[in-house]
Amino acid sequence: MRKILTTCEFCGCGCNFYLGVEDDKVVAVYPCASHPISQGKLCIKGWMGHEYIHSTERLKTPLIKEGDKFREATWDEAYQLIADRLQQIKERYGSDSIAVSTSAKCTNEENYLLQKLARAAIGTNNVDHCARLCHASTVIGLSQTFGSGAMTNSIPEIGSADVIFVIGSNTTEQHPLVADQIVKGVKGGARLIVADPRQIQLTKLAALHLSHRPGTDVALINGMLNVIIAEDLVDREFVSSRTEGFEELKEVVAGYTPRKAAEITGVPAEKIIEAARIYAGGKKGTIIYAMGITQHTTGVDNVMSCANLAMLTGNMGRESTGVNPLRGQNNVQGACDMGTLPNVFPGYQAVTNTELRQKFEKAWGVKLPSQPGVTVTGAINKMIAGEIKALYIMGENPMISDPDMSHTEKALKNLGFMVVQDIFLTETARLADVVLPGVSFAEKDGTFTSTERKVQRVRKAIEPLGSSRPDWKIITELSSHLGYKMDYPSPREVMDEIAKLTPSYGGISYDRLERGGLCWPCPSPDHPGTPYLHKEKFARPGGKGRFSAVPYRPPAELPDDEYPFTLTTGRTGFHWHTGTMTRKDWALDREYPKGYVEINPQDAANTGIRNGAMVKVASRRGEISMQANVVDTIQEGLVFIPFHFAEAAANKLTAANLDPVAKIPEYKVCAVKLERG
Amino acid sequence: MSEMRILDKAKLAEFIGKLGADFEVIVPRRENGNLVFGSLDHTQPVVEFTGKPLVPPKEYFFPQREELLTFTVKGKEIKVEAHLDKVKRVIWGIRPCDLAGIKTLDTIFLSNYTDNYYQARRENTILMGLNCNEPCSSGFCSPLGTGPFAKDSFDLLFTDLGNRFLIETGSEAGRELVASSADLFAEARDADKAKLKELEEKCKRAFESSLPSTVDLATVSNKLSGAWGDALWTEESETCILCGGCNFICPTCHCFNIEDVPAEQQGVSTRVRYWDSCQLGGFTQMAAENTRRTQAERLRQRVFHKLVYIPDKYNGAVGCTGCGRCIEVCPGEISITNILGRVMRK
Repeated sequence: MRKILTTCEFCGCGCNFYLGVEDDKVVAVYPCASHPISQGKLCIKGWMGHEYIHSTERLKTPLIKEGDKFREATWDEAYQLIADRLQQIKERYGSDSIAVSTSAKCTNEENYLLQKLARAAIGTNNVDHCARLCHASTVIGLSQTFGSGAMTNSIPEIGSADVIFVIGSNTTEQHPLVADQIVKGVKGGARLIVADPRQIQLTKLAALHLSHRPGTDVALINGMLNVIIAEDLVDREFVSSRTEGFEELKEVVAGYTPRKAAEITGVPAEKIIEAARIYAGGKKGTIIYAMGITQHTTGVDNVMSCANLAMLTGNMGRESTGVNPLRGQNNVQGACDMGTLPNVFPGYQAVTNTELRQKFEKAWGVKLPSQPGVTVTGAINKMIAGEIKALYIMGENPMISDPDMSHTEKALKNLGFMVVQDIFLTETARLADVVLPGVSFAEKDGTFTSTERKVQRVRKAIEPLGSSRPDWKIITELSSHLGYKMDYPSPREVMDEIAKLTPSYGGISYDRLERGGLCWPCPSPDHPGTPYLHKEKFARPGGKGRFSAVPYRPPAELPDDEYPFTLTTGRTGFHWHTGTMTRKDWALDREYPKGYVEINPQDAANTGIRNGAMVKVASRRGEISMQANVVDTIQEGLVFIPFHFAEAAANKLTAANLDPVAKIPEYKVCAVKLERG
Repeated sequence: MSEMRILDKAKLAEFIGKLGADFEVIVPRRENGNLVFGSLDHTQPVVEFTGKPLVPPKEYFFPQREELLTFTVKGKEIKVEAHLDKVKRVIWGIRPCDLAGIKTLDTIFLSNYTDNYYQARRENTILMGLNCNEPCSSGFCSPLGTGPFAKDSFDLLFTDLGNRFLIETGSEAGRELVASSADLFAEARDADKAKLKELEEKCKRAFESSLPSTVDLATVSNKLSGAWGDALWTEESETCILCGGCNFICPTCHCFNIEDVPAEQQGVSTRVRYWDSCQLGGFTQMAAENTRRTQAERLRQRVFHKLVYIPDKYNGAVGCTGCGRCIEVCPGEISITNILGRVMRK
């Protein structure tokens, strides 16, 4: 048996393990004790979640749709058809009538190449990916306050914090090896504050659980800021020497007395006071958040509020402190870093900046568009309006993952031409005109960048199945058919090009990564990488952190007489997103084979819904049926549905209400009604 | 009757290298700083190491994923072909805790009901143990009687005496292997045997000092039975994330699930056996559901199965070998030694 060390393909923790390979088949998993995050540990997805690799449902040959059926095709035939159709659409409607959706499941090299294809071969900045749906608010919120939109500190530092504030992150289920650090911290004496509308596993360890109403995060944090200022718990030295905007902040948060914050959030005033005292009382306080903060129409405001809290108490720029957004996908950090965003090139270099654009024009040998493109969520509306005619999707399943499914379906069906590059015939791929079979992480080389900004190797363990091809190879071949030649012998040379053009990746090379991962910024070959940011100054121009005075705004759709419940959506620890991989695995499927809705016992009694019974959940946009799980871990008036299950798709219910700046949808709040099904 | 021989450390590679002609040779290897069992191939084995590979050698008898049989269905005709692994293997460097684990698996898989798949592998494998000279970070073998020196269940047992190994034979197969390379071995002198005794005593003392003094196997079983309804099971299970790791790396855990992987079109279907975990909600779901509904009950089951039920059911067999791997792989920081410590203090 060969044992190949690689990086896990599920979440952003970036665990390493060995894949055991026999007869070109993945047959075993071995934990890696020497890895700083996994330390020989894995979650169940790491141990058991790789059966999908050899699923008989894998796509093994290109497919072309004729009528409403697919037929098998050769690669050349598929490439030529795509190239011809994209060229026609480009000639008739312009480059910006084409949009490209890249993938946070794919490697850095693949994301780099696909945005290069969009910009250089097609000539559009219409390139985006699922980060729009998870951490767009972080990228914008933290860039504006700190100058860098990523985790400020590294994962192993969390275990040494003395106060850990978890808000909007079910860390145990979504980032299990980050949760391990929290458990270590608490067992070592750290005090844990959990703010979450549900009782999650971490609340059992918490000194304090703040069960605030969904979407009231700004009010909750403003209440804490109010107490910190009122009780003079401010780190004045830090505020005066390293930040700006304190006076404006002070003015706004003065309106959020604990009593006022309690009214909005539903959290008793004394708990808000206690939370403020615990957090401000620590020497090394760390804030950990995820989708509970970002997926709101106030996503950017929520993120900035977390940043306010950290700066006001001087919990920045030191070990075991900071503001730590947990990135969901294995490579969502990397996909952002690689510039698969409509406004920036790799390394967050603005497309509107002439000097930077010229650098890329010179490197890529072609004139590049200077106007930012459209976002994933913006593109959907433009498809309905007929302005976007063609869509190229790599490794995403927006039919199930985007909000308001009927809206998404209408948009995708209105396209003149759609290509999907994936490993399975997903709900989205079924709507495509051409489907290209990519490969799993086990069949290719590359790198992923984990949530702590750590770039790590993904190593090929087996040959691609059937006539599927590595995604990086597909992009280069397609680009050449489009008349823009891409010629790389392997992903290693792609990384060399990335390093040349991306200052924060400047010192990263495959040779160095053989000795272990590197946290960016890593600007030069002799630079050791940067576990925590903003040590002496912030990355913003001028070097100061900026307080953002943000007033509370309620969510876009609140419950009313007709739709009296609030729906919040999320995941379980046993499945990944739209379930295309994990639902093919016996062990994971056995734990959660079907969709369910969590309902508080009081609400269940009022509506006559019994535990285990079928229940119909309806919003203004759609209706789904599933089993009721009556649990006392959820607030009254709130229901929770995981979005993994296409047959009970939570996103038939959610609304496409967007944050005005980040354009992230409010997956965490919409209004629904319940009926016995 | 056990025989003793001496092998210069420098000659180990030659000895096990020669075995490569007739056997697949499995040795501890160092990969990216990790100790793992793997085929000898062209690399040299790691000869001096503390502790043990994170995944025990049980996988050479009971693999993570095992294709039991293939079947093809043509009309009414079903053709079945069993896949028995009869590759001849030698595993060198097995620690006493893992030898104890194999002994228990033998009892479970080969006594009342014979598991043909386990049997085929087991009968074709030579076990070469390696005694421990130093305690490992999480092990607690000494009070359980499984280490630091092995008592049985080996074909050959190696003890590190500095620049040479003292080798004890434990079976006819072991004696034959030594005889076939007789020129590599020297007779063990009385001084070597004395040194073995001395080392064993010294190691036992070293191991005892690294252990929680509260753990004592003689009474642990009784104490556990008294702690059945204790709140500690709820408290200790609060951080379990349901990964199954404690079961997967346990040298005696042997629960499995069987799945049929259907053929692609007219091809061959496969029946596959996988490691399973009693900590998961879906465990034993084929009988409706996991009857242990809370994590506290499942944690208690794991500990009781190791330290009460297996010894009880299999005439004193060792359920927990004290290797400590379940502590090392736990993302919830749950520690069986902490649990036993709490139980013993009751």
